[in-house]
Amino acid sequence: MTFRSLMAVTFLAGALAMPAAAQDRPDMVIAVDNLWPTMDPVIGISTTGARVHSNVFDTLVRRNRWEDPDGTELVPWLAESWQQLSPLVWEFTLRDGVPFHDGHIMDAEDVAFSLSAERLWGEEPLAPRGTRYTRGFVRVEATGPLTVEVETSFPDPNLPFRMVTPIGFVLPQHYYEEVGTEAFGQMPMGTGPYRMTAFDPSVAVDAVAFDYYWAGEPPAATLRFEIVPEFSTRFAGLVAGEYDVVVSVPADQVDALEGTEGVTVMEKGIENYPMFAFNMLETEALPDNPLTDVNLRRAIVAGVDREAIAAAIWGEATFVPTPFNFPEYGDYYEADRERAVPFDPEQAAEYLAASDYDGEELIWHITRGFYPNYEIAAEFMVEQWAEIGINVRIELKDNFSLAYERPFHFLNMSMSSEFSGDPYRPLWMDWGPESSRFRASHRTWDMTEEFVRLGEAFEQAQEFEDRYQAYLDLVAEWERVTPGMYMWRNVVSYAINENLQWDPGNSAVTIFDHLYMTGYDE
Amino acid sequence: MTGYILSRVLRATLTMLVTVTLVFLFIRLSGDPAAALVPPDAPQEVIDQYARLMGLDQPLWQQYLGYVGGLLQGNFGFSIHTGIAVEDTFLGRLPFTLHLGITALALAVFIGIPIGALAAIRRGTALDRFVMGFSVFAFAMPNFLFGLVMILVAALAFSTFLGGENANVIWPALTLGLAAMGSFARFTRSSVLETINAPYMRAAEARGVPFGRRLVRHAAPNAAIPLVTLIGLSLGALVAGSVVTEQVFAWPGVGQLLVRSVATRDLAQVQFLVLVVAFTMVMANLIVDMLYLVIDPRIRAK
Repeated sequence: MTFRSLMAVTFLAGALAMPAAAQDRPDMVIAVDNLWPTMDPVIGISTTGARVHSNVFDTLVRRNRWEDPDGTELVPWLAESWQQLSPLVWEFTLRDGVPFHDGHIMDAEDVAFSLSAERLWGEEPLAPRGTRYTRGFVRVEATGPLTVEVETSFPDPNLPFRMVTPIGFVLPQHYYEEVGTEAFGQMPMGTGPYRMTAFDPSVAVDAVAFDYYWAGEPPAATLRFEIVPEFSTRFAGLVAGEYDVVVSVPADQVDALEGTEGVTVMEKGIENYPMFAFNMLETEALPDNPLTDVNLRRAIVAGVDREAIAAAIWGEATFVPTPFNFPEYGDYYEADRERAVPFDPEQAAEYLAASDYDGEELIWHITRGFYPNYEIAAEFMVEQWAEIGINVRIELKDNFSLAYERPFHFLNMSMSSEFSGDPYRPLWMDWGPESSRFRASHRTWDMTEEFVRLGEAFEQAQEFEDRYQAYLDLVAEWERVTPGMYMWRNVVSYAINENLQWDPGNSAVTIFDHLYMTGYDE
Repeated sequence: MTGYILSRVLRATLTMLVTVTLVFLFIRLSGDPAAALVPPDAPQEVIDQYARLMGLDQPLWQQYLGYVGGLLQGNFGFSIHTGIAVEDTFLGRLPFTLHLGITALALAVFIGIPIGALAAIRRGTALDRFVMGFSVFAFAMPNFLFGLVMILVAALAFSTFLGGENANVIWPALTLGLAAMGSFARFTRSSVLETINAPYMRAAEARGVPFGRRLVRHAAPNAAIPLVTLIGLSLGALVAGSVVTEQVFAWPGVGQLLVRSVATRDLAQVQFLVLVVAFTMVMANLIVDMLYLVIDPRIRAK
């Protein structure tokens, strides 16, 4: 009998004589609008899945949003420490004695499996949706019982930031291989504060406190994420005391809810920015595209008062960003940096006069209901553009694959600003040579030579000062070309029982461990 | 009579075949199902991998033949997300929807028909006007609105929650059955009025048959013919209405499963559910047609 299986047996014996856990912990019900149909944390990358994942799984590294809502600080979690052995190789040292929900002790093999080519980044991987986080991976190897090395094809000074994302969740290799990918997604197991007991993708997830959780006693006895599609019903359940947390309060009902007795409403800016891309290409479906002219693109951006529109729709809950300048970006963020093309009707008229645009209709493809308040804002914008002679028509589409069908002039999209240590993700990954903006069938632009040159310089810069300067240059080039326009920082909202002390930070991820949930007064 | 039965069965089979084909085509025409499974900015290779998993890389006719062939062998397919046979997931939900639907139908029948008959018998009185007023309200009220108002009033005024799977079925059933209740009341009233003024009723009265016996033995069977049609048709409305009602009350039935499956582009699951709904409707119509044989001797005689 090995040491590890001995640990497992000891653990199980302990589990049979379950400790007298605190009896006064609440049974929590979170009313959600949806659940992703699988709870594999990578196949299920989504807002509706992420609400559950961190309660069942732990990542190697975590962001501290319990003290800083934007979570710019990295916290060692299942990885106790990490170091860069060489420019291409990082080593993670794991915490010892962390049990999975069945008592098996997590080790380097589990981590190596979770990050493996077979699962994430090889040919036809088991969980293909994580490729955006595994760019450049060439080797993942358990080098000791508690050490794992990750090697990339290019130097990545910010690799540990990737272990915060869904690929950083550690899965139990033995259980995953025993049940298979699909079954794992239906009854997942991790090392997190709650152990899943039931899952029906169109009804609910049920979980109970895992009292051997390594990081501290889970503050709720049970968690239930229940699908309640209709907001009014979620709200009624909250008022009647049936639900403790409800998600996705419609923006126009926040005020009304704030006046309801026993209810606390929270609005949180999250790391996602709805915008649209200009289709700058001439294609078969759009042979004479007026948007190839930068003057028209700038006229469109300068001709719309985004601040006023965002304030009218969202109040104080959000703001209009200067491109790629996000508060969650730590040292890269500069609060008073100005936009290159601000709202200026006179300037817009000049840009317009300088273009060849003669009033032809520009089509804006919008995915119905996908981004909160997007359609309303779009209607405001269309009216403002009409005033200066730009003729835009909104076409609502039922899903993205329909929105991607040409012809279109504007395409709705959003940019995730998920912090990866620097603005690499939204700038170079989302607009660069690997991006769908450039590569997909619904591509909207050809990178300028200057953009490519600056992007490569950005990618190669290792020291902060160099990278920061390269970032500024790349942003300046993006703004010069103006391939799109940001709307605002996305907002998520929660209504909770006022007795519950819980704050998710600026995030759509809901975690009910002892750090985020600090009490529940009866 | 055999011709009558045969033509009805043939019609039902044809309807099913057309439904199978339409469902198959529409799901594939309303956007790429594989693209719906990945984030909006996913690379093409990932979309392609999902398309292969779902068999969407084969030509359409091949997919169609495979699909129909599978159906004929009783192989309805597996959910792309859960890997569970679609009929198993469906059967897990069916009890909830049956419970809801049967309760709603029972409410509609056992309230709607008696009050309609009562209104006919007490024609022109305040009771008659009240029943007719109620039936117009019940029929015109959109069921989601009625359900929402009920849920909100109960929560805000009585701190009681009427939704979720642990709630009493009576509330969603009332919401679901309301429209049918209204139309049953109206139809019963006019149908009963028609029959109680018929010559054979006067003849029965002249023979000294007591009022209650006249109503049950003579009026009821004749008034029942249009009602049977109506109940058959309202089954369809109940099935469609259950989708909305289950959403509003967070009732974990087939309707909610259908909405979720469409949203997540779970092809096999959607196809199966639409087929089941179509099958239910076709069978309901078929049964109504057969019931005519029982209750209407004229059809039997043809």
